[in-house]
Amino acid sequence: MAPAVSPFLDPGASSSAHSLGILQLKRDHLIPTVLSDASSTEYAEGNVVNTRFGSFTHSSLIGKPWGTQILASVVDTGSRGGRSKKRKREANGEGNAAEDASRSEEPVRSVVKAATTASSGFAHLVPPTPETWTLCLPHRTQVVYTPDYSFIIQKMRLRPGDHIIEAGAGSGSFTHAVARTVFNGYPGLEQPEEKDEQEVNGTTSRKRRRRQQRHGHVYSFEYHKPRAEQLREELVSHGLDPLVTVTNRDVYADGFCVDAENENAPNADVIFLDLPAPWLALKHLTRSPPPPAVVKSIASDTAEPPTTTSAPRPPKPFRSPLNPKTTTRICTFSPCIEQVQKTVAAMRSYGWLDIEMFTMEHKRLEVRRERVGLAEEGLRGANPSPATVQEAVQRLRDVEDRAKVFHGLQKEKQEQIMRRAEAKKRGEQAPAGEGEADGLKKKTEGLPPSKHDRLERAKKESESRALFREGRLVCRTEPEIKTHTSYLVFAMLPVEWTAEDEEKARRKWG
Amino acid sequence: MLTSCSEHLRPAFRVCCEPQLIAHSNINLGKFGTFNSNQIIDRPYHLTYEFLEQEDAKAQPKLRVVPAAELHAEALGSDHAAPTESKDDDAPAEGGGGVAYDIVGEDGEVIMRNNRLTVDDPSRQTLSMDEIEELKKAGSGSGKDIIEKIMASHLGIEEKTKFSLAKYTLRKSRKYLKRFTVLPLDIPILTEYVTEKEAYRIMELRDDSLGLICSWANVHSGATRRVMTAEDGTSQIGGGRWLVVDDTGGLVTAALAERMGILYPHTEEESSDSEDGNEENLPVEHNDDTPATTTPAASTTPATTATEDTHMPDATTATTADVPNGTSPDQPRAPRKPRQHVSQSSASTNTLTVLHSNNQPNLSHLKYFGFDSGDPTPSHPLYTHLKSLSWLQLLSPTDDPTYFEPEIMPEETLATLKSSKRGNYYRKRRRWERTKRVVDETRLGGFDGLVVASNMEPATILKECVPLVKGGGQVVVYSPNAEPLVQLCDYYSKERRTAYIASQFGQQGQLNGKRKQNGVDEEEDDVEGDDEEDNFPVNPMLLLAPALQTARGRQWQVLPGRTHAFMTSKGGAEGYLFTATRVLPIEGKVEARGLRGGKKRKTGTDTSAPA
Repeated sequence: MAPAVSPFLDPGASSSAHSLGILQLKRDHLIPTVLSDASSTEYAEGNVVNTRFGSFTHSSLIGKPWGTQILASVVDTGSRGGRSKKRKREANGEGNAAEDASRSEEPVRSVVKAATTASSGFAHLVPPTPETWTLCLPHRTQVVYTPDYSFIIQKMRLRPGDHIIEAGAGSGSFTHAVARTVFNGYPGLEQPEEKDEQEVNGTTSRKRRRRQQRHGHVYSFEYHKPRAEQLREELVSHGLDPLVTVTNRDVYADGFCVDAENENAPNADVIFLDLPAPWLALKHLTRSPPPPAVVKSIASDTAEPPTTTSAPRPPKPFRSPLNPKTTTRICTFSPCIEQVQKTVAAMRSYGWLDIEMFTMEHKRLEVRRERVGLAEEGLRGANPSPATVQEAVQRLRDVEDRAKVFHGLQKEKQEQIMRRAEAKKRGEQAPAGEGEADGLKKKTEGLPPSKHDRLERAKKESESRALFREGRLVCRTEPEIKTHTSYLVFAMLPVEWTAEDEEKARRKWG
Repeated sequence: MLTSCSEHLRPAFRVCCEPQLIAHSNINLGKFGTFNSNQIIDRPYHLTYEFLEQEDAKAQPKLRVVPAAELHAEALGSDHAAPTESKDDDAPAEGGGGVAYDIVGEDGEVIMRNNRLTVDDPSRQTLSMDEIEELKKAGSGSGKDIIEKIMASHLGIEEKTKFSLAKYTLRKSRKYLKRFTVLPLDIPILTEYVTEKEAYRIMELRDDSLGLICSWANVHSGATRRVMTAEDGTSQIGGGRWLVVDDTGGLVTAALAERMGILYPHTEEESSDSEDGNEENLPVEHNDDTPATTTPAASTTPATTATEDTHMPDATTATTADVPNGTSPDQPRAPRKPRQHVSQSSASTNTLTVLHSNNQPNLSHLKYFGFDSGDPTPSHPLYTHLKSLSWLQLLSPTDDPTYFEPEIMPEETLATLKSSKRGNYYRKRRRWERTKRVVDETRLGGFDGLVVASNMEPATILKECVPLVKGGGQVVVYSPNAEPLVQLCDYYSKERRTAYIASQFGQQGQLNGKRKQNGVDEEEDDVEGDDEEDNFPVNPMLLLAPALQTARGRQWQVLPGRTHAFMTSKGGAEGYLFTATRVLPIEGKVEARGLRGGKKRKTGTDTSAPA
C-alpha cells in the first residue's frame, strides 16, 4: 500500500492513489488525506472528504497535477445521518481525525445522487511537505513548529547523509522535517541515482559506490507506546519508513543503541532531545564510558523518579551511539528554564563544548489596506472617521451650515405662521405660498447632503472604486502569537582526541 | 576557518577566516601571536588551543589543546562534582560555596557578600598600565600568569561578590588568555563571519532566516528524482530543481546547495589528483566522511583529507591547473580518459538554477566551499549541478549573442588551425551548448521551488518566475525590510484577486454579477484598461496562501544562578520572509462557498453578455 517513493520527497507530477495528498482550504486550514480509489460503504461516490467549503470525492482528487484547484462535488451527505457512530469509529481507526471532525460539522444538504460538480466551493490539492504536515498533523503532544525546527536544523548543521537521533518523537513534525533534510536516497533504491550520476558526472564507479554507502537516517525514540505505534503507521503511509527507525523505549534507562542487525547503528552525527529531563539521557551520549561520579552527581540533582538509578541492570559492554568520526551536534528542546540549567550543567560535566541557548521569536504579519475617511461612511471594513484635519473641519462646517439653514427655515416658518395669523386677524388675504416654497428649495440646494444622502452616495461610489488599491498599506503582527515555544540548547562534542593521537599527528606534521 | 575565542561562553567572538589551511605555513592571529599550521592540521574540529608558556620568547610558539573540563571550570564551579582536570584554579576565592542569597543573617553574619561596599576606583588595581604592558611583553605563554598577577594585585578582590568576581575573571581572561578554536567552515559560520564584516553583502541574512528559507522552500536532496513531463507534453516537472535569484553573493545558493548535498567537494579521489603531496598520508580516524573511508577500498586512496578546510587548497590548486570554463583536460588519470570532458551545468536533477542580473553571476561566497564560479573545478558537485543564466537570456534569449550557435567548422579547416584557435573554437561551441541547454531547460519551467533574495522589486521577479514553478511548488522571497514584501502581499491580496477575476471575465464578455447588477459597467474600463499593469503587476491567481513572517533567535546566558537573555545583540535588518504555494487555477469562473454573496452569482452571470 505504501508508495514506493515518499510524496514528501518526490510527489511526482500529479496525485496518485494510496498516496498522501493535502487539501488546502485556507492558509491554516489543511486536510491531509491518503487518497484511495476503493469504493466506500458510505457514499455512492467512493471516499469523500467533507469540508465546510464543499465535499470532495477522492476520485476527483486522484490523478490531478499538484496544485490544481479542485471544484467541490455534489455528494449526498444527508442520507447517512443515522450511521454517524459507525463512521466515527471507522474514521478513528484510520487515524483521520481531521476528516472526522469536519464530517460531523457538515450540515445536511439536499439529496442529489451523482458525483457532479457542485455550483460552488473549491479547494487546492497540494503535495505534502513537512511544513504543510506540521499545520495539519493529528496532535499527540506539543508540536515542534516550523520556525523552531528550521532554526534547529540550521544550527545543528544537519545535512543529507547525516544520521540523527530524535528522542521524544511526539507528534512527528520534527521527524518529517529532519527526514527530508537527511534524505539522500533510499537504501536499496540506487538505480536512478546511479544512472544519473553516470550520465552526468562520468566519474568512476568506485566513487559512486562510496557515496551511496551512507544514507541519511533518522533514529526516532518514543517512550509512549501508542504514540510510537501511530508514528510508525504514519511513516509507512507516507513512504518514509525506510528513512526512519522508530523505537519504543525509555532512553533514560536504555540509551540509544538500537539492537538492529547493524551493530554500528545509530552512529549518529546529530542529536535532538525533546525530553522532560534531557540531562538524564546525556550519560548515554558519550564517546567513552562516562565516569560514574559524574553520572551520579547529575542523577542525584534531579527530583525525577529514579528510573535510572533503580533497577540495576547487568552491565552491558559500553557502545557509543555517536559517530566516532564527526563532531556530534546536539540540541535539547525544553520549555522550562530549570530544565535548561540542569541540562547545561550536565553538558558541561560531560565535556560538551560551544554550549549556547536560544529562544525563538517568530511572528506572522498580516497585511491589509486601512481605509480611513468620510467617503467610507457606511462601507464595510473601513474606518469612516475623517481622514484629515481638513476633512474634519469641512464636516463641522457642513453640519453648521445645515443647522443654520435648518434653524433659518424654522424661524421663517414661525414668522410665516405669525404673519398668517396676524393677517388673518386683520382679515387680509394670506400671501402666496409659492414664492416661499421656491425660497426653501433654493436654500436647501446649496446645502451639504444629509446623512442618508451621504450613505447612499458612498455606497454607489464604492462600486466604481478600486478598493483593493485604496487606503494605506499596513502590516502588523497577527492576533495570535506564540511568545514562548521552548528553550533551545545547542552544543558540540568534538571527536575524541587522545594524547597518542596528538603525538601521532605531531610526529607526522613536525 | 579559525575562530579566536578565548572564552567559550562569549556570545560573540572574533572570527578570523582562513579560506584555506595550508601545511607548513604560519597563521597569524594578531595580538595572540603566530603559530605553524602544522600544529592544527589533521586534528579534529572544535578543539580549543592555547599558546603554551615558553621560557624562550623567541622560540616557535607551541599550542596545547585545552580540555573541556578546563574550559568549563568556571561555570561548573563547586556546584558539580566534575572531575576538573585543571590544576590551576582560575577562580580563587570561591567562598560562599554555592550560597546564592543576598541576605545577612540574624546574627549579622554575612551569608553572601553584596555590592554595598564596592568601591569604583581605578586605583584599586595596584598594577600600573606600564607594568601590565611589561608583563604582556615578558609573557609568551597563555596569558594565565598575567591574569593571576592582575587579580592578586587587585585590592578589593576579597570584597567582590561571587558573581562580580566571576565576571571580573571572565573579563580579564577574555583580554589576556590566548586561546582559539578551530571550526569547520560551514554556512552558519560563514554567515556569522560575513555579518560581522560586511553584512550588506549578504542582505543582512541571519542564520535563523536562512533556516526558514531552506524549510519553506522545501529544499532537499533530489538525487533520486527524475524530471517528468507535464500533461501538455512539453513542459517538465520536478526533478529536484530549484530556481534562485541571489543577490547575497552566493550565500543563499550555498545554503540551498548544502541542503541538497552538493555544496561540499567530494573528498576522496579528486583531491588526490591535485594533491601537493603534503597530505598524502593522512590518517582517516577523524575523517568527516562516510564509514566507507575505513573500507580497504578507501584506504588505498592516498589522500583522505581530514577536514573541509583542507579540501580547499586541493580545490583551488586544481583550478589553477585547469583551463577556464569547462575546457579543462580533466584529471590526468588514464582510465578516465575516454569520457574526460564533463559538460558544465549538465546535471538534469538535483540542480540549482541561478538567475543573475549581470553578465556573470556573483557567487563569490562559494569560493569558501572550493567552487569558483568563474573558473569551476570539474570535480566539484556544483560544476554540474549549478546552472546560471541572466535575465536577458531567460526573457529574450535571442538578444543574447551566446545563445546563437557559432558556425561549425569542418574537420579539415580545424586541423589547419593553430591549437590555441582550435581550443577557442571548442570553447565557444561548449559555451553555446551550455547556454542553450540551460536557457531552454529553464524556460520549460516545472521547478520545484523558487527562492528569491534580491534587491530588485520582488513583483517584477515573481511575474517572470512564478509561472516557471510547478504546481504545488514553493515560492520564498527574503527581504531585509518588511515593506517590499508587504507590497508583494498586497499584490496577492484577496481583494485584488477578486478584482482580477472580475477584470478577466469582463474581457471574455462575461460580466461580474455585482457590477452588472449595479449598472456601473463603464467604470470597468478603469480596471481593465491601460492601468491593468499597475493594478495587477502579477497574476494573483497563481499563488496560494501568501504569508509574511519573521523569526529571530534570541541568545541567553546560562550560568549557575545567572541565567538570563543577553543584554545586547545586533540590531539592523529584521529579515522577512514571504512564502506561498504555486497553484494551478482552473479555467473559467469559480465560485467560493461560505462567503457572503455567493448565492447571488447566478443572477449575475446569467444576464446576457454583450458580445
